[in-house]
Amino acid sequence: MIKKSKFLFVNLITAIFILNGCSSSKKFASENKDPFEKINRNVFEFNKYIDQKIISPISKTYIKKIPPKVRTGVSDHLDWMNTPSTIINSALQADMENTILASAKFLLNGLTFGFYDLDKGDIKKRDFGSTLAKLNVSEGPFLMVPFLGPKTTRDLTGTILDKQNMATLSSNAFDNLSLAEIPVNMVDKRGKILKTIDNIYLSADPYIKIKSFYLQNRRNEIYGEKYLENKNNNLDAEFEKLLD
Amino acid sequence: MQNLKNFWISKQISKLLTYTVIIFLILNVNIYKSFSNNLDKGEAIVQQMIVEAKNHAIDTIKLEPKERSTKIELLIKKYVNLDFMGRATTGTFWKKASKKQREMYKTALLKQIVLTIEEHLNTLATLSYEQKKSEKRGKKLVYVRGLIKDPNGNKPEVNLLWKLAADKTGSFLILDLEIEGISLVSSQKAEAVSILRKNKGDFNILLENMNKNQ
Repeated sequence: MIKKSKFLFVNLITAIFILNGCSSSKKFASENKDPFEKINRNVFEFNKYIDQKIISPISKTYIKKIPPKVRTGVSDHLDWMNTPSTIINSALQADMENTILASAKFLLNGLTFGFYDLDKGDIKKRDFGSTLAKLNVSEGPFLMVPFLGPKTTRDLTGTILDKQNMATLSSNAFDNLSLAEIPVNMVDKRGKILKTIDNIYLSADPYIKIKSFYLQNRRNEIYGEKYLENKNNNLDAEFEKLLD
Repeated sequence: MQNLKNFWISKQISKLLTYTVIIFLILNVNIYKSFSNNLDKGEAIVQQMIVEAKNHAIDTIKLEPKERSTKIELLIKKYVNLDFMGRATTGTFWKKASKKQREMYKTALLKQIVLTIEEHLNTLATLSYEQKKSEKRGKKLVYVRGLIKDPNGNKPEVNLLWKLAADKTGSFLILDLEIEGISLVSSQKAEAVSILRKNKGDFNILLENMNKNQ
């Protein structure tokens, strides 16, 4: 019963966000348009507080006390835990090469539970957010989500769907392990960008800076060269004008 | 008589055509030369700056943080077009700023760049830089692409894109840097314009916000 209601709730949220994303005909929302700015800023302050009081100090200790080789092992393991999502979404995006490479990597690294990366070859990380983007769902408004940080409505939908898929497809043990590893993942990720985030907090408007970094990075991840070329063409015209 | 006239006209036309082709060739060769010259200049500037920054990272490791920052400031001033960055990151609001406010903004911007570079300076000494293809964009811009690699393979590769153009004196300076597709000018502009818009273009409030944590 609980599982059924959870499933319905997730699907309801998903449908709302997809519809929200579809309501805009543009592929990218303008960086200046931020309909939820007031709420987002409050959530950002909350996340910043949690980060500065809990996550950042733990990450600093983690970086100081744990040897780099062990940290690399933990990072590799966390990546390995996310590989099934890449496999599913690469298949949904008809990227057969990445599906095969990711499957092979997942199976091979499964020998060490992902703690040692036996195949150093890089695979492209894929999630449901990027699958929705390939289906031409627009990215929707920018959101600052408690604990999760910056997202667009499309990416938040993708994250929920990813979790739902993993819960449906994987065994209970795998599911429980991935839940238990959420805090480890947070600490590991934060540890990798300690100084960058600290510097962002020192900027004139950290909320806008994080939003800009996130949107540029995410669009680059999903659309690659196409997005960069489009962005640079616009910037070139602006720069040439200023150079005249 | 008519034949002679026709012959003279056709000779004139062929002469004109020959001259046109010669002029076209000369112009094209010059344009091509200046294109490749600009690309070479752009690449050389980036290479030179990377070498200097690496040496700088090693030389200044034992210096006091303040002294180190001053040396980085000098390095940035030498290679970065701060005046352009000031205009590019504030959009139409730049015109409304006084001379003093513009200078103060450029100083605050310089401090932010120093902070970003200081963050990576220690790791830069252990990493290698590989120049990738360059391209000429539009009439004035040159893009120089590069890759930062960890020789031990412990850190992921980082793609860089430097955007350069010649200043009034003809020397090439950096206008923007894109790290993995994130443009520093774009993010700084988003931040500065957002504050200026909310405060009716008041540069003093922007400067106050930029300097409060530095």
